[in-house]
Amino acid sequence: MNKPASASMYESAKKIYPREIGGRFADLSKLATIILLGLFYAIPWMNWDERQAVLFDLPARKFHLVGLTLWPQDFPYLAMLLMIAALSLFFFTALAGRLWCGFACPQTVWTEVFIWMEQWTEGTRSQRMKLDKAPWSWNKFRRKFSKQFLWITFSMWTGFTFVGYFTPIRELGAEFLALSVGGWTLFWGLFYGFATYGNAGYMREQVCKYMCPYARFQSAMFDKDTLIISYDEERGEPRGGRKRSTDHKAAGLGDCIDCQLCVQVCPTGIDIREGLQYECIACAACIDACDSIMDKMKYPRGLVRYTTEHALQHEGTHVLRPRMFVYAAILLALIAGLTTSMATRTPVILDVIRDRNTLYRELPGDLIENSYTLKVINQSNSDRTFVLGVTGVEDIALDGAGDTVTVEGGGVLSLPVRARAHRDDSYGIMKIQFTVTAVDDESVALAEDSRFLGPTP
Amino acid sequence: MISEEYRGAKQWSRDKQAVFTVVWISFLVAAIGTMVFFALFDPVDLTGIFDGDLDIGRDAGYAAGFFFFWVLCALCSAVTAYLVRTAPKRDAKHRD
Repeated sequence: MNKPASASMYESAKKIYPREIGGRFADLSKLATIILLGLFYAIPWMNWDERQAVLFDLPARKFHLVGLTLWPQDFPYLAMLLMIAALSLFFFTALAGRLWCGFACPQTVWTEVFIWMEQWTEGTRSQRMKLDKAPWSWNKFRRKFSKQFLWITFSMWTGFTFVGYFTPIRELGAEFLALSVGGWTLFWGLFYGFATYGNAGYMREQVCKYMCPYARFQSAMFDKDTLIISYDEERGEPRGGRKRSTDHKAAGLGDCIDCQLCVQVCPTGIDIREGLQYECIACAACIDACDSIMDKMKYPRGLVRYTTEHALQHEGTHVLRPRMFVYAAILLALIAGLTTSMATRTPVILDVIRDRNTLYRELPGDLIENSYTLKVINQSNSDRTFVLGVTGVEDIALDGAGDTVTVEGGGVLSLPVRARAHRDDSYGIMKIQFTVTAVDDESVALAEDSRFLGPTP
Repeated sequence: MISEEYRGAKQWSRDKQAVFTVVWISFLVAAIGTMVFFALFDPVDLTGIFDGDLDIGRDAGYAAGFFFFWVLCALCSAVTAYLVRTAPKRDAKHRD
């Protein structure tokens, strides 16, 4: 477990130079990085029905998700989606530990790409360390400059892509080429670009160690059956150097040759042999490193491996356990709830705003009139005609009720209307209901409450 | 034996930890707050509650809202972090 905090806590951070390592998990992580970042950079360029497939159109307050258009009123869906995401994280953490951290977290994924660029321009770990110590020279300048150039260009592109989720990216691209991007678009692009640059270029594992809430509370989801990366102490100890020809068992040594490779490859700079530590982001670089050494020594692989605490203690691992059932049940309930509510979603919204300036008006013929503004929002993607109506007071009617209004697909119609009722039926404050029904499909209907005011008797 | 470069000094100072944690966590909470707030209220409708000619677009409204939340959350986080860090130790009374 963790070493107690010491005076060294007050020293400034030394840079960690993670050593590059190839292997099964490095390949897997590369694949995850390429797929996830590939999706991030490609999605805004995809079109659907002549418009951007995924566009969070904040200026118009509409979210386009492929064929679906979501409105601010659909916020509960987003909230449910976030809850589903959080619960999936709990579920997978309990099952497989910090898979998220090691392979899918944006922090990890972007850091990975920034480290690639660092390696292309500044070379391997030992070359980088030497370069940082060396005095400034043309070579050092050239390498540092190339690295910064790649980092900054990539960050800008990232910022541009991020903004492209909120502003049509093709138009943005044209503006970008004409150097006419302005205002808030430019600001948020630079903001996100700069955050990427700082987080992936400089802060890296410090974000996981000091700033990430998940890293601190993920241990609450852990138990002895959770998949962790661990050093097999029983097999490895006593550690120590030896010649390859030595019969280490006869010499009283374990399988660990104490080569330090697992420490050098660690992006957070911990020693996995000290046990499970919260700094460990489960990137599995130490597994690759150790396996390569075990292969060289002709020892079996897996001195450092994915395992569980129960397995290390030679007790069976239980995948199916109460915790998993509870998480899975809540998760399934949420998913079912979201799907049914989305499937039964009425693609129309009616907002009623009462005219605040006048309480009521008396009309000839003993009529009382109230004014309202109706907002009819057609959430479907095609034009639709609706019948408006009002109920709640005897013989209440809209002027021109029974009339139909046509609202364009995805459009909002603001409609001033007047409701009238006979004086004898209208007194004080009365509850009424406005209704809107689609002409082509009566199941697309909605009622909205409002008030009708009359003279106090 | 762990190579010297890894010994001890791989941590941030406590002040740096505090500052970055405050900034980052308040950023995350402000992002959630902004999302919920502007799902319920349209910035264009809100400008009406201010006197004078405050005629800003939605973009500026969202940005102003986000930074308002960020500053507010950062203030709250920072004061909390400060109070927690400077609180008297529980065993202080046994000292003298």
